Amino acid sequence: MKTLRINGAWRDFPEGLPETVSDLLDVLHINQATVVAEINEQIVKRPEFATTPLEPGQSIELIRFVGGG
Amino acid sequence: MEPLRIAGRTFESRLLLGTGKFSSHALMAEALAQSGADIVTVALRRVDIENENDDMLSVIDRDKYLLLPNTSGARDAGEAVRLARLARAATDIEWVKLEVTPDPYYLLPDPIETLKAADILVKEGFVVLPYINADPVLAKRLEEVGTATVMPLASPIGSNRGLQTRAAIEIIIEQANVPVVVDAGLGLPSHAADAMEMGADAVLVNTAIATASDPIAMAEAFNLAVQAGRKAYLSGPGAVGRQASASSPLTGFLRE
Repeated sequence: MKTLRINGAWRDFPEGLPETVSDLLDVLHINQATVVAEINEQIVKRPEFATTPLEPGQSIELIRFVGGG
Repeated sequence: MEPLRIAGRTFESRLLLGTGKFSSHALMAEALAQSGADIVTVALRRVDIENENDDMLSVIDRDKYLLLPNTSGARDAGEAVRLARLARAATDIEWVKLEVTPDPYYLLPDPIETLKAADILVKEGFVVLPYINADPVLAKRLEEVGTATVMPLASPIGSNRGLQTRAAIEIIIEQANVPVVVDAGLGLPSHAADAMEMGADAVLVNTAIATASDPIAMAEAFNLAVQAGRKAYLSGPGAVGRQASASSPLTGFLRE
């Protein structure tokens, strides 16, 4: 199984699951400097992106700041 | 004028600016400059995976402005606490505008969940600025759990209806030992000046500026109004009376 649930939607990685949060952000072309992540509702801090491994079936939230009042 | 003090920090401006609804990041940045604001609110949302690099923070100079992440979208205390923790992880900022709005039509804040979340977040070291209905008892309860301000609404978020809750906000101002920031519903500079003349410590404005035909000019107008209102409050307004009180002398008329 090479799937992750990203922001509520299951996504297949037929080429192989990204190994870390950093790898995932690279695959998705997301700028790491602007994002905060949760894996199964546990916060992953930005300095830990490169060392936090991913496992199939995890639920990942990728969040950023937007305009708001 | 004396600066605004919140949780031991001082701010020159008494206008807090929300960053939603601007038609572009560039326009928001220019309005921010003209508003004179020192504190800007931002929201947290899921990354749009298909439109990945839309980074609004890049136009906000973090050395110049204090980012105040909000918990908008939270429907209960648990969701608000989760958002606050995410915001802190993203920015190392401990400040949070706490808003818990389960009602999608009027976006009125849930007092019970707000108080519950405030208690948790204060204990975790957050500087909590709660968005509340204009409820003087709730304001005191929040102050007691250690919030840094109270932020009563003037009227529903984005409604531009002005100070519909005047009488209750007057009581909150009279009783509060923390800064009172009138938040939500202020639609015109005159509404903001009105709140400041009543003795509010600050106001938070977003929609009225962001959705004006010229947001940059409207930002400046609010900036001036907030300064004028504060100065008027400090100047001690004259008494209000029912009858006329002549401004010119009542002697020396050119008649017998």
